[in-house]
Amino acid sequence: MSTILVYSENPHAAAEMLVAARQLAPSLNASTAALHLGSMSEQDLKAYAAGGAELVYHVDGVDAEKHGPACVAEALANVARNVDAVMVLVAATRLGREVAPRTAQRLKTGYAAECVQLEASSDGLVAYRGVLGGTYQAKLLFKRKPYVVSLQTGRYQPEGSGSQPRVEKVSIEITAPQLELVEIARAESAGVDLEKAELIVSVGRGFKKREDLSMAEELAKVIGAELGCSRPIAGDLKWLPEDRHIGLSGKRVKPKLYLALGISGQVQHLVGIRDSKVVIAVNTDSNAPIMSEADYAVVGDIYKVVPLLTENLKKLLGR
Amino acid sequence: MVDIIVCLKQTVDVNQVRPHPETLEPQLGQAPRKISDFDLNALEEALRIKEKHGGRVVAVCVGHDIQQLLIREALAMGADEAYVVSDPRLEKADGLVTAEVLAALIRKVGRWDLILCGEASLDESAYQTGPRLAEIFNIPHITYAVRVELEDSGVKVWKAMEGGIHVVKASLPAVLAVGLEINTPRLPSLLMIRAASKKPIHEVKLSELGLSEEQLTPAVETLQVKALKVERRRITLEGEPEELAQKLAEILVQEGLVKK
Ligand SMILES: Cc1cc2nc3c(=O)[nH]c(=O)nc-3n(C[C@H](O)[C@H](O)[C@H](O)COP(=O)(O)OP(=O)(O)OC[C@H]3O[C@@H](n4cnc5c(N)ncnc54)[C@H](O)[C@@H]3O)c2cc1C
Repeated sequence: MSTILVYSENPHAAAEMLVAARQLAPSLNASTAALHLGSMSEQDLKAYAAGGAELVYHVDGVDAEKHGPACVAEALANVARNVDAVMVLVAATRLGREVAPRTAQRLKTGYAAECVQLEASSDGLVAYRGVLGGTYQAKLLFKRKPYVVSLQTGRYQPEGSGSQPRVEKVSIEITAPQLELVEIARAESAGVDLEKAELIVSVGRGFKKREDLSMAEELAKVIGAELGCSRPIAGDLKWLPEDRHIGLSGKRVKPKLYLALGISGQVQHLVGIRDSKVVIAVNTDSNAPIMSEADYAVVGDIYKVVPLLTENLKKLLGR
Repeated sequence: MVDIIVCLKQTVDVNQVRPHPETLEPQLGQAPRKISDFDLNALEEALRIKEKHGGRVVAVCVGHDIQQLLIREALAMGADEAYVVSDPRLEKADGLVTAEVLAALIRKVGRWDLILCGEASLDESAYQTGPRLAEIFNIPHITYAVRVELEDSGVKVWKAMEGGIHVVKASLPAVLAVGLEINTPRLPSLLMIRAASKKPIHEVKLSELGLSEEQLTPAVETLQVKALKVERRRITLEGEPEELAQKLAEILVQEGLVKK
């Protein structure tokens, strides 16, 4: 019997991958196993158990953060070869998105990135993923084994009863090029789960200065919304923490209300707000793409409309 | 002196792709093409490194239908020369084939210290070409690079991860994959556009690369691409700011979107 080998540097994400792997296992005629790198705590083991892991391969000498993605890929590819893996399933974290393609190249095979759904067919594995900025979905067929896949997190719920998985030690000599980690500058984090927010007020480059964001903050406070933003606001300008950025390379949100202020609505942003119930956009440009992707397209200047809106809401809501 | 390879993908402009009204398939032929966004950031970074340390910047580009005009655009920005493989067979190329072809082409360029590419492409956003190339050459790669400094012994890179910025060092040669945060690509001046017309574009045939049939056979096939439809009401509100603010506040309350 062959194996679906699961890896994530985050054992909780690995647990989700294990759930996905176990769903596919019967049709691929495979068993499932997780790979753990570096020291392993009780907590880590519990997480794997929650994903329903029966077997965990443990490679002690490799540390994802310290040695870098090439070494992780080497370990993953080695174990995949040794256990004759039919599939290597990696959680699509930032590290995962570096490790998975490198592993695929090592195994001289194909890779489907950040998939949203997987299916076994008689011809091979079928993977679904967003393309063309995320507004289209592609259906892919693997023609070669092993299948290397990264899967978006947050789609599978680990709830295994958690009998202790068997742990098998593997020793691997790492020869891949290493990185030297100099330091980690912890990011200021919003510490919010934007994915769970019911109301989101989101800001874009229509705001001219950082101080001007206070308009949006005030509005968000009045209605009890979380603040989100387009990528340039967090990435280039660093006006808001990285974990508030919404879109293809950021969070995918599903609030009841998404209020986009001064956001043009390029496809990479739109993909992140697709599951919003109501989208309202305020933009001076009636031709901005977001205006045709909104329930209400308000043609106006945020500098004028937003403060007035906040005042009106304060009155209506009695705040 | 550092010699830098920059990988430039030509893609459709995803913001201008419209789905076919019935089949929902993307009408790719009708959308203009461009250099993938982040690849321009990679080129810009390469040019800045060259300006500081000297060396040569070579653009490499592979695809099924490469447009000369877009190659000239890269040369106008400041790349010294370009190596191109344009072959209809690459229409079905997946990440594996693309990386093999790029690597073989890069070998033709000769000496280099760094490969720069966009972290993800505009159309596929798979984040795979950088890591795959690095694996082929058995050298380090660093994705999500937001700042790059060359040092005597190698390269120091600020890398944006979920929890914050990881500052890492790698020896050369290395592959760096960058996003839009790293810089703002320059717009070429008229002078540079004119100068670009004299810069060499080396057209290399796929058959000259010595790749095996296996290396040229995609491991992943695209069966279907379809637009994901979202239905929105698309109601436009226009008028004076006071009116708009009033109407909007009422909508928010009436639709139960905000609560008292
Ligand atoms: C591979 C890839 C991944 C990406 N991932 C993401 C992602 O995850 N998230 C994301 O957001 N972007 C992403 N981007 C970037 C994306 O393409 C856009 O560049 C970005 O979303 C634009 O941000 P913006 O709308 O804030 O700025 P702009 O596009 O500059 O838009 C500003 C808008 O504000 C309006 N405006 C200006 N002044 C006012 C005013 N006074 N009142 C009202 N409106 C005003 C303008 O009309 C304009 O529409 C990605 C790009 C690529 C290539």
